[in-house]
Amino acid sequence: MASVAQNAPAISPELCAPPRLEASLTLDFARDELAGHTVLAASRQEPPLKVVRAFAVQDGAALAHLHNVSGGLLGGDRLALRVNVGAGARVQLTTTGATRIYRPRREALPATQSNEFTLHEDALLEYVPDAIIPYAGACFSQTTAIHLAPGAGIFWWEILAPGREARGESFAYDSVEMKADIGTRGQAIASERVRIVPRKRSTRSFGRLGPYRTWATFCIAQVGRSAAEWLALEHELCKQALPLTQHGETLWAVSALPAHGVMVRCVAVHGRHVLPGLQALWQMAKRRLYCCDAVPPRKAN
Amino acid sequence: MERDSVKEPPVQADALADLRLLHLADSALPIGALAHSFGLESLTSCGMLTTRDLPDFLQTFLEEAGTMEAVFCREAFRLSAAATSENDFASRWLQLNNQLSARKPARESRAASASLGGNFLQVMLSLSDLPLARAALNASKRSASLVHHSTAFGFACSLIGFAEDRVVPVYLHQSIASLVSSCQRLLPLGQAEAARLLWNLKPAIIEAANCSAATSLEDATCFMPLLDWGAMEHPALSTRLFIS
Repeated sequence: MASVAQNAPAISPELCAPPRLEASLTLDFARDELAGHTVLAASRQEPPLKVVRAFAVQDGAALAHLHNVSGGLLGGDRLALRVNVGAGARVQLTTTGATRIYRPRREALPATQSNEFTLHEDALLEYVPDAIIPYAGACFSQTTAIHLAPGAGIFWWEILAPGREARGESFAYDSVEMKADIGTRGQAIASERVRIVPRKRSTRSFGRLGPYRTWATFCIAQVGRSAAEWLALEHELCKQALPLTQHGETLWAVSALPAHGVMVRCVAVHGRHVLPGLQALWQMAKRRLYCCDAVPPRKAN
Repeated sequence: MERDSVKEPPVQADALADLRLLHLADSALPIGALAHSFGLESLTSCGMLTTRDLPDFLQTFLEEAGTMEAVFCREAFRLSAAATSENDFASRWLQLNNQLSARKPARESRAASASLGGNFLQVMLSLSDLPLARAALNASKRSASLVHHSTAFGFACSLIGFAEDRVVPVYLHQSIASLVSSCQRLLPLGQAEAARLLWNLKPAIIEAANCSAATSLEDATCFMPLLDWGAMEHPALSTRLFIS
């Protein structure tokens, strides 16, 4: 007797191919001069990326939550986020939860995410997402480009978790690549190129993470401030970071960039120590640069 | 664009090139290399880096920061051949160094690299007549741009006429030798052990140099968070042997 499989019609190779998803989310924020606050003036949304609405928050800023309704990135997904922040507008962007990078099918291409932020004169963007969690076998590549016009400023962080630690997964992913370029009018402010391939190059190596598992990078920049101002901010943030550092648990460091900003770095054994530290440094820097409080985003979920 | 290559009789050229390259890689070259630890001092002073960790640490350094610097060294080596005019050269030179500055988040390590790079070009100008090297230095001074050690080394060596694939491992070798020398002053590391350490790292130096040949500037990565931490924390040390 012929098996069911033998009798089934041949399946098109296209249907067998790993699914690929290309989607983008474009958000244009503008300052409403009459109302005196920032609005989401236009958006183009392709599933699974979604922003429900922008909320008015303190100082006339707009807060938007970036949703990925599929729950995370699957192998072969190519997602793009483009954000334009108009002159004088103030925007806070966050995610609704951690960015999960799922284990891909065997033939799948890496999951990729490209982010492009364009800030016009005197605009401010606070990009404060939750951690990226690459699952076992995940292969992820992210590129971020941030263009700052004169007077524009940014608070931008990324947190990379080692995996699903509660399941005992730590650095079980295949590869994570993160590229970021922050610049103004052709001048590079900060440029990062990170590639982590745990099976090839141990993250436990002393020069890399050693005993630490979570890595965070936090760039604070505003075009036009003098080198002396950034050096002063470096000193203040270093003082703030000193009690946050607990050797063997969490390390924090701050340093002035070549121009227009400072960089904060953190490594931690436990991811739970990272966010409070980032928020404390964000608070101090926001008060110093913008004379107002940094208000951590209310989570929609 | 015409290059500044120093002409020598062909019979002696290879031997002379070898000797000159040895000279430029010598820690005795007066560029200030021994005054910088690039963050190692912070790591050793808090007990995070010990003598036992050094082989692994230096191997990782070559795989990450070493390879990235080697990519920039190669790019600088190719600069004079790629440029179509002096203005084009100056623009590319400044851009390359600015790109490397942006890759260095730690202020002191960035300044250290720039100090060595500027000093290296000055020494080269005192040793040989290299108009293009002078133009590069002047362009950097005019625009208040930094000259990094890896780019200065690659660029000046191309003007002397060395082969690119000889220059890059030599650059890496002197970098790692300088770090080992710092470790001798920071840790209980004797001369014999330091020599053995450096001897054993030579295959890793070759591998990093080879890897850099197949890597573009865009794809040159570096993931050394603990060294970043050490370099960024160095200004906070109360007693310091090193400038960085």
